[in-house]
Parts: sequence; structure tokens; C-alpha cells
Amino acid sequence: MSAADSNTDMRIKLSAIDQSMKWPALFFIISATLWLLAGTALGLISSYKMHNPNFLGNWEWLTFGRTRSAHLNAVIYGWCNNAIFAVGLWIMARLCRTEIRHLGLLIVAGIFWNIAITIGIAGIFIGDMTSVEWLEMPTYITPLLAIAYALIGVWGIIAFRYRQSEHIYVSQWYILGALFWFPWIYSVAQIMILFEPARGTVQSLTNWWFAHNVLGLWLTPMALAAAYYFIPKVIGRPIHSYYLSILGFWTLALFYNWAGVHHIVGGPVPAWVISSGIVASVMMVIPVIVTAINHHMTAIGHFRQVIESPTLRFVVFGAMSYTLVSFIGSTMSLRSVNEISHFTHLTVGHAHHGVYAFFTMIMFGSIYFILPRLLYREWPSKILITCHFWFAALGITIMIVTLHVGGWIQGLEMNNPEIPFIEVMKGTVPWLKARTVSGFFLAIAHLAFAINVFWIVFFRQGQKDVIGTPTLFASKQSR
Amino acid sequence: MDWYSYIIIGFILAGLFFASALYAFHWASKNGQFHELEKGACSIFDDEEPLGKQTDFFPGHK
Repeated sequence: MSAADSNTDMRIKLSAIDQSMKWPALFFIISATLWLLAGTALGLISSYKMHNPNFLGNWEWLTFGRTRSAHLNAVIYGWCNNAIFAVGLWIMARLCRTEIRHLGLLIVAGIFWNIAITIGIAGIFIGDMTSVEWLEMPTYITPLLAIAYALIGVWGIIAFRYRQSEHIYVSQWYILGALFWFPWIYSVAQIMILFEPARGTVQSLTNWWFAHNVLGLWLTPMALAAAYYFIPKVIGRPIHSYYLSILGFWTLALFYNWAGVHHIVGGPVPAWVISSGIVASVMMVIPVIVTAINHHMTAIGHFRQVIESPTLRFVVFGAMSYTLVSFIGSTMSLRSVNEISHFTHLTVGHAHHGVYAFFTMIMFGSIYFILPRLLYREWPSKILITCHFWFAALGITIMIVTLHVGGWIQGLEMNNPEIPFIEVMKGTVPWLKARTVSGFFLAIAHLAFAINVFWIVFFRQGQKDVIGTPTLFASKQSR
Repeated sequence: MDWYSYIIIGFILAGLFFASALYAFHWASKNGQFHELEKGACSIFDDEEPLGKQTDFFPGHK
């Protein structure tokens, strides 16, 4: 304890930092929530079309190829990035013990980011999309996106530069790393695939290096930063082994960026490139085990706290999913496994396991912690939070299980020359229907979340004065 | 663009990126970031949100 508050007097109060981040964080959280709803609707439409192709089939802008890509881009660049801008910058400001200044510019950059995504999604609908997965938005929005990102990302770096804290906490490492990694992978992919296309299969290598690194070097470090911040913070005890957490960061930085090429196992690229990708994918076991031990050992024996706190429920669910999804990912990169799982729905299930069960759940948990501290108000509905958690947890579990089992069967059948292709496709339909059901679960969860967010932000009347309730521990003392 | 100049530019940029990571590691080590790790782990707590107290509950919790 003495170590923690030795120089407290010199530092800015946490509640003051929360107030300085109020408007940009609110803006990004509300944008993220709206994109989440749009992405969910597009995902549901796409999922329904998989077993009912005629659904909404009379409009060319709602054909499967477009709704599916619009879903992906709305979720990744709309929901995930806006959530990261809110959560990542807020954690960064808190850990750096510095107020974020010149907020107007940050909000303007955020507005431009969202305008660019909106134009990009509209471009996908009207048929301007590129054929490059994860980069489908038309190239005319790339400059706007790049400038907007630069103006947002630089805020994290400025906060770091003017930090008042001596020690760099592990979450700061993750956030700072990711703030540099994302523009690097995005601009390299844009240039090497779309603006100055590289030759032949180098494009596909770049494509999967990029797409996997959006998860590995952008979403993952941001979610891990949040988990490393919120699990010890909410429980009120330091992380189990701080040494391991630092080791986890540097090993992730070393191995993850090699792993993406396992997406083209069996493709017409040099075997050594694929092999190095497989080696890196298996080496990812090190940072994953390190993180799993740390999160588990910090939370163990505090099950009551996990149940009592909305933040911890979501964050611990996400942290457990991280362990599981990473082990499955390492296994899927092996050639013998990949020859079955490739080209099946298992890959889609795996992608949702990573981006939803791990990343999105942690972002939900973070937002449950952050919003009351920005607004000095309590979450208006406990039932909606419970509803959100259980529908999200059940929905994503159903989706992951059905797509993994159904995808594995599909892969085995496709490798069997006795079974006609059309029979294999028919066999997937029940699993795809189950996936649509899981999509409805998630839609209900997101509606509950969105109602709670808009309620706490826009409808102040009727909400209880929260000062004195334990949720807002910080505000109780600062007022 | 000529393929070889493409590759050369790519390698130079990637090398710079790698060097910056090495530099960050070197700087952190020299700066003492890898010493006194227990103190570092406690740096997220202060008197507003102290060690040993849970800071998040469902609304209405007594």
C-alpha cells in the first residue's frame, strides 16, 4: 500500500482524469453502440441468407456478398475501433495520470472517422467494394480514415509522452504497442494490395498477414490491456505475477505478427513461409499461458466479486475465452488439422470466438466500468445488465459450438470423395439455422446494452442520485 | 513500381520498425522498468481506488 501512494499528492486525481475524458469517451462509446446495432442487423441478415438465399434477394445491394462484407467492416472498424478509442484512451489517460487536452480536435477526428466508415459501408452496398477480405471498403475513403486515425491515435502517444507516473504499467505497453502496430499493418496492406499492388501471391500473403494482425496486434493487445487493468482494479488486489505479464507482452510482440500466414496453409506460396507461420502460431502458446495463469491466479478465490460486478463478469468471460480461442487457433494452424478445418464454417466460428467471446465481451465489461464514472450516474437497470450478460454469453456459446461442430463435420465430408458436394452443403443447413438462432440471442443482448447506454446518457430524469453507492467508489470521495 | 525497389523499401521500413521495438525494449530496461515489479503491479491503485477494496458492483448493491 505504501508503495502505491508514495507520490499521490503530486498526481492528478483519477476522477479529474475521468472528467477530462468525458466528452470524447462518451462520443466514442455512443458511436460504437450504434455501429454494434448496425453490425448485428447486417450479421443477422447474412446469417439468415445462408440457409434462406432468397431472403431480401430482390435488391442487389442486399445480396449476401455485400451484407456479409458490410457486417464485417461495420463491426471491425465501427464497433471495435470506436470501443478501442474510448476504452484504450481512457485507460491510457488514467495510467499516465494526465488529463487529455485539446479535446475538440479529438472529437472532430472521431467524427471524421465515423463519417469515413459510413461512406465506406455505403460504398460496399452500392458495389464499390474491393475483393480483399477485411479491406472491402472502397479505396477513396482510405486517406480520410488514415488522417482520422492519426489524429486519434496520437492522443494516446501524447498522453504517454506527458505521463506523470514513474512506472509504465503493463496495459500501457499493450496500448502503446497497438497504437503503432495498427497504422503500420493498415498502411502496408493498403499500399501492397490496393495502391501499388505487389505481385501475385504476395498479395494474399499480405492480405492474411494484415487480417490476422488486426486481431493479433490491434484488438488483442487492447483487450488484454483492459483485462490487465480491470481484473486487479475491480477485485482490489494486484496482478498475480507482474513479471509474467511483462513477459507476455514481449512474447506477443515477438510472435503474433508472424502467425497470419497460417490462413493460407496449402496455398500456392513457399512452404517455408507457411511453416514459419505455423511455428509462430504454436509459439503463441507462451504468451497465452502466461496471460491465462495471471488472470486465473488473480481472480481465483474471488468468485463472489466476479458475480457481483458487471465489469468482472464480462472481462473474466473474455479472458477465459482468450485462452480457449488461442489454443484452438494454434491447433488449427497445424497442417493436419487445417486440411479439415480450411474452407469450412469452423473458421467463421473461430473468428467470432476471438472477436466476440474474447474482445467484445471485454469491451462490454470496460464500458460498464467507465460510463458511470464519466457521468456520475448509476446504471439505470440491473435487469438489463443481467439480460445483456446471459444472452450474450449463451448466444456466443451456441454460435461457437454449432459452427465448430458443424464446420468439422463439413470438413470431414468435403475430404471424402464418396460424398457429393451438394450433400455436404445440405448437411450444414441445420448448423447454419442454429447460428441464426444464436444471432437472435446476441441481438437481444445488444438491444439490452444499447437501451442501458442511451438511458444512462440521455435520460437523466428519474435516475437515482448515485453518490454513496459502492459502484461509484471514486466519485463518492471526490465530491 | 519496379519489383526490386519495392522489396528494398519494404525491407528498410520493416527493419526500422523492428529496430524501434528493440530500442523500446532497451530503453525500458535501462529506465528500470523491469525492476521493482511488485511496486509496478500496485501502481493502478491510489487513495481514490485503494488496494483491497472492490470498485464495481451491480447497481443497487448494499
